[in-house]
Amino acid sequence: MNEADLYSTTFSPESIKVIAESIGIINLLDEAAKELADDVSYRIKLIIQDAAKFMHHGKRQKLTVEDVNQSLKVKNIEPIYGFVTRDFIPFRFASGGGRELHFVEEKEQDITELLSGPMLKLPLDVHVRAHWLCIEGVQPTIPENPPPISKDAQKLESIDPVSKLSKLAKEKESAGKPTIGKFHKLRNVETVHVKQLATHELSVEQQLYYKEITEACVGSDEGRRAEALQSLASDPGLHEMLPRMCTFIAEGVKVNVVQNNLALLIYLMRMVKALLDNQSLYLEKYVSAVVIQFARAPVQLHELLPAVATCIVSKQLCMRPELDNHWALRDFASRLMLQICKNFNTSTNNVQTRVTRMFCRFLHDDKMPLSSLYGSVQGLHCLSSGLTPVGLSELGPEVVKVFILPNVKHISERIEGATEGPVLNNIDRIAAGHIKILMTKVLSPVLRTLRQPPDYVEEYVSEYGSLGPHLHSAVVKARAQPAPTTTVPLTTPTTLRGPSSSILQQSAASSLLKPVHTLDTDHHVPDVSFISGSGPHQGRTIVVGSSVPSSRAMVAPNNPNKYVFVTSRPPTPNQVRFFCRGYLPWA
Amino acid sequence: MSDAENLQPPACSSENFARPVKMDKVTALAILGVLKKYHLKDTEELLKKEANIQDVDSSSEIGQSDSDVSNMLSVYKSEGDPQVYESAYVELKKFVEGALDIYKHELGMILYPVFVHMYLQLVYNRHEEQAIKFMERFGHDQDDYYQEDVVRLSHITKKNHMKGNELSETFRSNEFIIRISRDTLSILKRHLQEKKQSVLLNIVHERLYFDMYEGVVRNKQQIEATAGSMVGEATRQDNKTKVYYGLLKEPDIHHIPVEEEDEGEGDGDKPKKKKQRKDPLFSKKIKFDPNAPTWDRVPLPELKDTDKVEKIRALREASKRVTLGPDTLPSICFYTLLNSAQIVTCAEVAEDSSLLAVGFSDALIKVWTLVPQKLRAMKSADQLQDIDREAVDVLVRMMDDRSAEVSRTLYGHSGPVYRVTFSPDRNLLLSCSEDATVRLWSLLTWTALVCYKGHMYPVWDVKFSPHGYYFATAGHDKTARLWATDQHQPLRIFVGHFSDVDCINIHPNSNYVATGSSDRIVRLWDCTTGDPVRWMTGHKDPIYSLCFSVDGRFLASAGADCRVLVWDLAHGHLLAELTGHTGTIHTLAFSRDGHILASGSLDCTIKLWDFTQLSEEVLLEDFNISYSPDIKKNGSHLLRSYATKNSAVLALHFTRRNLLFGVGIYDS
Repeated sequence: MNEADLYSTTFSPESIKVIAESIGIINLLDEAAKELADDVSYRIKLIIQDAAKFMHHGKRQKLTVEDVNQSLKVKNIEPIYGFVTRDFIPFRFASGGGRELHFVEEKEQDITELLSGPMLKLPLDVHVRAHWLCIEGVQPTIPENPPPISKDAQKLESIDPVSKLSKLAKEKESAGKPTIGKFHKLRNVETVHVKQLATHELSVEQQLYYKEITEACVGSDEGRRAEALQSLASDPGLHEMLPRMCTFIAEGVKVNVVQNNLALLIYLMRMVKALLDNQSLYLEKYVSAVVIQFARAPVQLHELLPAVATCIVSKQLCMRPELDNHWALRDFASRLMLQICKNFNTSTNNVQTRVTRMFCRFLHDDKMPLSSLYGSVQGLHCLSSGLTPVGLSELGPEVVKVFILPNVKHISERIEGATEGPVLNNIDRIAAGHIKILMTKVLSPVLRTLRQPPDYVEEYVSEYGSLGPHLHSAVVKARAQPAPTTTVPLTTPTTLRGPSSSILQQSAASSLLKPVHTLDTDHHVPDVSFISGSGPHQGRTIVVGSSVPSSRAMVAPNNPNKYVFVTSRPPTPNQVRFFCRGYLPWA
Repeated sequence: MSDAENLQPPACSSENFARPVKMDKVTALAILGVLKKYHLKDTEELLKKEANIQDVDSSSEIGQSDSDVSNMLSVYKSEGDPQVYESAYVELKKFVEGALDIYKHELGMILYPVFVHMYLQLVYNRHEEQAIKFMERFGHDQDDYYQEDVVRLSHITKKNHMKGNELSETFRSNEFIIRISRDTLSILKRHLQEKKQSVLLNIVHERLYFDMYEGVVRNKQQIEATAGSMVGEATRQDNKTKVYYGLLKEPDIHHIPVEEEDEGEGDGDKPKKKKQRKDPLFSKKIKFDPNAPTWDRVPLPELKDTDKVEKIRALREASKRVTLGPDTLPSICFYTLLNSAQIVTCAEVAEDSSLLAVGFSDALIKVWTLVPQKLRAMKSADQLQDIDREAVDVLVRMMDDRSAEVSRTLYGHSGPVYRVTFSPDRNLLLSCSEDATVRLWSLLTWTALVCYKGHMYPVWDVKFSPHGYYFATAGHDKTARLWATDQHQPLRIFVGHFSDVDCINIHPNSNYVATGSSDRIVRLWDCTTGDPVRWMTGHKDPIYSLCFSVDGRFLASAGADCRVLVWDLAHGHLLAELTGHTGTIHTLAFSRDGHILASGSLDCTIKLWDFTQLSEEVLLEDFNISYSPDIKKNGSHLLRSYATKNSAVLALHFTRRNLLFGVGIYDS
């Protein structure tokens, strides 16, 4: 609708007729309807015009029902009682048989149900809270203040660093943020085109902060580390330091993978997690925009994503693979990968697809060490179970079916090779044990739904090789469980945030540091339990709940018109009633 | 008499109040007619006595007033062919566009009023289809700042809509004022005489008022700066009256016993210290300002001892204040009202920054204390009798310690509370509401004291005088009123705005009241005479906030057009236009030293402007009533902009030490 239409928008005479019918006037003449429509449109526009005044004086930018009522009151018209709500009342739309209709849906509420149900929450009282918006002209970066640069601006800056230069030069608008130092503007008058350099200088405070944080994160004091991670996860003013943080992590992973320093790798991964949790950071540039080239174990890649991937599939992550629990690191990093994919996957960067493909290649590759194999299965499992926003997620078990199931036989051969080969390698033996447990866990729910009840061990063995018996017993066990859930029991908790999960990570992470003494193959990975802890699929249930049948449409007869307002108000008396209520001196 | 006052019709009369009209016999007769019609005999007789009018034939009076109205309307009557309008307008437009560049923009000013009147004539003569066509063809050509009115105008499509419509009545009963140079006017006249378009001639002669001036033709920027009001610009005549904008001489407060000192503070060493350095503090003799009104021009309340103590405390605190400037920016303490989105309508901080009052859309008022001292209520009457009245700390003893609370709620209004304001001594609070009343509350007993009824429609704004006792209100009934707390009737009614009066403020010397309105005009009224003394145009949208500079010379105004305009009260000139906000500006505040102007907006930002630089630039220039200065436009006056986290800014307040308080509502 362009503005020209706005000048002469009026109610259609048909609408007037419908309204007339609703109050019992059947045969309204066309001319009368037209005349009325014009007049009604004019009056309504006046009322809305005045209602806007009340909105402005209420310091709002949204017109409410109360505003309209007050405007009616000012015009000595009785307000419409009982329709006051702070929220927007949507018109429902219904069409059928060439007719279109808009109406307000009024649900019938059962009072007994309301009474017997849980008490409604009381609205919270108004509360005053003070904070420093700025101190002597400088806006402190505290959670109460907005991040110094909005995410959009960060994005722009990361894509085109030069834009920052021109912006800074133009306006001091961005004010309140700590000084970002000088910038060098290289102006080139000659024909050679030199790209301008945008230097990101850090203030002394920021440098100190960076030093403190990085030291605390990889240091030995667990208390300080917790504080540092908390700061990384919540501080809104970090974006200036973000490139350096990422480089720190990436370099740290590179070095420590070579040196097989498991503890440090875990600390670094926890830093990644904290950064991912920080709502005010624009991380996209640092995780995506990556040319994925996988070589063998120490993966040569760009920033965070490669670092995380390294921690999942690297051949060796610790000094004593037979003793240290690097499995938990792989699990943790897998979940980080899931979080990255969830947050940053777009149709253009295809992070998720590329990561999935990478894991698949590892599954097929015979030369891969078993530890990498474990990592990729875990990674795939995580990806398949936790992803919600993208295509794969809808088919959670499908991913397992498509990517893992066909390879089961191959994997079992490899496990067999490790456990029963001529040269028994302790490391491989442990790895094989872990993979076996993981495979059982991943596959049994899928198999339970895929295969029909009579389960024969022989079939399993022929199809899945040496893993067959394990899978068989797991499936049988799963079937025996009394209340089978219909949804996929594989789902990991969709969010990895929140106090409870962080506590778990702490315990998991700290338990990693102890060497695992039990060497038997059936030993349990300490944090398996919370990977498989299934949470309800929240997003989906909401969608189902809000699809509402539009059966209550009231269709006016013989009206192929477009906009019809239907009200169920009782007819009002013809004469206008004035109410004086103290406005007029003689009242 | 009360009836007579209340009877003032809301759409206030057809007279143009810009040029004050002497109350002549005809007017008196018309009023008598109205009184008769409503059977208000007492008032009628009183008026007859006062105006020395003997018995009049009432019927003829009423007949006359009726015919007056029809006369008014019949101006639009014309037998003309509706097609003529379109061609006449096109021709006028061509003439304007074809004129020499220097005259083009001044000539362009007549297009909008001509367009409006042509449209109204078409509607009046029931050429509805032509009217709509006319609107569709030329509506978009009008200047951006008139578009809102054009849309409103387009709602009027029937003759019977015109009656009672604010916009059409305003145009009908007022001449549209156009300030024009002699040269341009002569060009225009020549053109009109050549063309002899009767439609156009009629409108120009009867509906437009040309305020001719000698001198250089104004350029586009100059014209645009002051355009935008509902009825054109101010004539130079309107702003000729002298305004005493200077500050009053501070009362003598040397010889006051300061022994008893402040109740709550309790730090006993302060009074002694104070005595030692009393001299530097008070010796600063304020020279008599030639622009200041005499101290008795408006009778002000006597200072009580407590007021004097308070003044001394304020002065002492002022001596500790930080001098602000572009290099020493203030700190901002921001009070966020949580869980309040869409409920809170206004907020106000007391002058000494100890109290915060918030008005709600559900008719409540809440007061919070911002200092450690809690809010106490006075003891009951029985308990008060037991108190020794001669005791030094009688004021403290009067209060009931058991009732101390951090916040208190005041109940009494029956509609949204649009503004609250503290009295200078902080014992009283005023609030205005949609229920058309203004209420006075005691902050000692925490009860309502007085309900002032006078406005007939919602009251948008109320402001206590800096000297106490007086207060001013503004409302939907297009009037602003001046009251005293002990009178239940207004002392003055300021009539003359063409639409809602949205905001009001009282000059630091309590002699003047400034109002801002939805007709996009800022006016200054003299409290002693009730006359308008300044009329300032330039806003393009309703005005929601006004603030006098500390020295009383300048006025800052802001509103829905997201700009802050700074005016010189000496001559009524527009001095500067501060742009940068992207949402309606609802609050303005000057720092205590007058160096910085702060503005807060619904776009969730607080912006600080360099006012020293601005006023210095202005004072360097020597200008007078006829020469208006260049309007400062570029953004060089913006010092900083601070964004809040999604909290619309409702109120700003500089403490005595120049700390800036902001109050906002958080919208999650």
